[in-house]
Amino acid sequence: MRLLIIEDEARIAELLKAALEGAGFAVDTVALCADAREALSLAPYDAAILDLGLPDGDGLTLLKELRANGNLIPVLVLTARDAVEDRVSGLDRGADDYLIKPFAMTELIARTKALLRRPGGALGATLHAGNITFDTVGRDVRVGEGALALPRRECAILEHLMRRLGRVVPKQVLEEKLYGIDDELESNAIPVHVHHLRRKLVDAGAHAEIHTVRGVGYLLMETKP
Amino acid sequence: MRLPGRSLQGRLAVRLALVYLVVTILAVGLLLFRAFDSAAALNNRELRLRATDIARAVSVDASGAVTLAMPPALAAAYAASEDGDLFVVRDRGGRIIAASPAAFGERVAQWPLASEEPNWFRLDDFGPRVQDYYGLSVAMRTQAGMVSITVAQADGAHAFVESIVADFLFETAWIFPLLLAISLIIAIVVIRAGVKPIMQISERAAAIGPWTTSIRLPETDLPSEVAPLVSAMNRALDRLEQGMVVQRQFTDNAAHELRTPLAIVTAALDTMGDSAEVVKLRADVARMNHLVARLLSVARLDAQPLDVSSKVDLNETARGVVEAMAPWAIAQNRHIALVQQKAPVFILGNAPAIEDALRNLVENAVTYAQAGHEVTVGVGEDGSVSVADDGPGVPVEDRERIFERFWRGPDARRDGAGLGLSIIAEIMKAHRGTVSVEDNPGGGALFKLSFMRVM
Repeated sequence: MRLLIIEDEARIAELLKAALEGAGFAVDTVALCADAREALSLAPYDAAILDLGLPDGDGLTLLKELRANGNLIPVLVLTARDAVEDRVSGLDRGADDYLIKPFAMTELIARTKALLRRPGGALGATLHAGNITFDTVGRDVRVGEGALALPRRECAILEHLMRRLGRVVPKQVLEEKLYGIDDELESNAIPVHVHHLRRKLVDAGAHAEIHTVRGVGYLLMETKP
Repeated sequence: MRLPGRSLQGRLAVRLALVYLVVTILAVGLLLFRAFDSAAALNNRELRLRATDIARAVSVDASGAVTLAMPPALAAAYAASEDGDLFVVRDRGGRIIAASPAAFGERVAQWPLASEEPNWFRLDDFGPRVQDYYGLSVAMRTQAGMVSITVAQADGAHAFVESIVADFLFETAWIFPLLLAISLIIAIVVIRAGVKPIMQISERAAAIGPWTTSIRLPETDLPSEVAPLVSAMNRALDRLEQGMVVQRQFTDNAAHELRTPLAIVTAALDTMGDSAEVVKLRADVARMNHLVARLLSVARLDAQPLDVSSKVDLNETARGVVEAMAPWAIAQNRHIALVQQKAPVFILGNAPAIEDALRNLVENAVTYAQAGHEVTVGVGEDGSVSVADDGPGVPVEDRERIFERFWRGPDARRDGAGLGLSIIAEIMKAHRGTVSVEDNPGGGALFKLSFMRVM
């Protein structure tokens, strides 16, 4: 998987490159908007990490331009400026996620992976969380070496939790994804499915746990083996 | 309501009205005076004519006696109005030649003879009707030599002339109050039209806020008296805006300059493995990061007032914060929950700033809550958001002080600089809301951000 880092601060670019390469990615770095345009047109990148303050232009302008040209590459925006306006306008102009400097490298790697885990993303076909593997094409779930048979809806819940590993999936989103408009939906349908799924994961010895955020939804977090 | 004396318009209108009133009274008074003066002159003239007529009728008869031989029509007229029109003719000796009525003759007989210079007199309460008379005594040359003629007319006889004067006044003089009213209205309209641009400018000036510093007051179509004030005001606004821009740029640059090296150090430490020294350094740098973030928040709040004019759904804001903070809270072995309202709870405010405040509160609550226990974020129907934990709570005596800058409790476990809660207090002040702390019913502290709800 190939990432493009667009960052003019040489030290940060260097450290980002090292960390992401350590996480198994192939990484190219550029420091200018012009170079970024050229790189993106030449090679098929799976995601881009974009710093907003570049010497030859604003990262947001570059982002808007990319989206206007129909380029849907996942973009993680980095900013050292005061976040309030950047955050809003960044997401408005097509950023998929943002991080404010300084940030923990583990957070950056997790966010990058989350972008790639989207349907159609480079990590979107086979999902990983701890020792859980989810083949989204074959609908095949494995925990460690063993296969885990799951009913259709529990399987779908696990897929959404794994795609957003480490982040909250609102209960409402699960309801919308799992049930058609005409389906009878009992108010405790999702909690019941999650309850079953959670127990099955524990029983199978998964190194990831489903947490409940009461009033909001659920999140899957990896546990130390 | 404004007192008329306070506004320029009111003052002008009142003074103009006074001037108009005085002018009208003078004009009508003058008119009346002139009218009655003319009427009196008319009377005098008539009396003189009568005296002349009577003088013409004085003659010497065949026997040599002086008699009054009035034309029959005149004689009949005098005879018919014995009460109204009086005359006496005396010769130079004071003997009465003719009198109508005789009683008048008796009265006049006691008066001195008239001279050639007319002598005007008033005669009060005379005659059978006891009325007032106005008359003239004058000496006139006749066929019979000089005679003294006295004529008088009842005051009531003026009534005709006076009624003409009165008719004139009632039919014509009302035009003065009308003119007064019309010109006063015109004056007020003109004044209002003149003041209108100033009112419009005031409205525009009222719309200028910290986030709309680019507004300038229009300098065209202004009364020349006001134009210099407006242009001076605009120049002042230019300088203010420039000052604010410089301030904003400074905090933005400071943020960038501080965060970039911190990002480098943070990232570098992350790549250095997990030796005990590196772990300690990471904690130190994390503390530094935290402090810088807080200081930048303070600087930003000081440099530029918050725009609190957006409609914010507290349900939505609270959910966003809980979602964002949940992974961290769970990593700290705490639960986090949201209790929101079924319907949106709208307030006017600045969503990112409210998120910041709420994030600060959640951070504190998670830090102080007991391991494995829950921190609850609640949205109130009254336009409030609360964060409750089951930690040690805040002693009553500290409940005001904790919101002061750089205040740190004696048992501060946190690596904070005592800025977090003061930032929340600033944010709430900008929202004209409040932040308060009380005992959580289940034990621990309950922090509450209260806003004004809008529909």
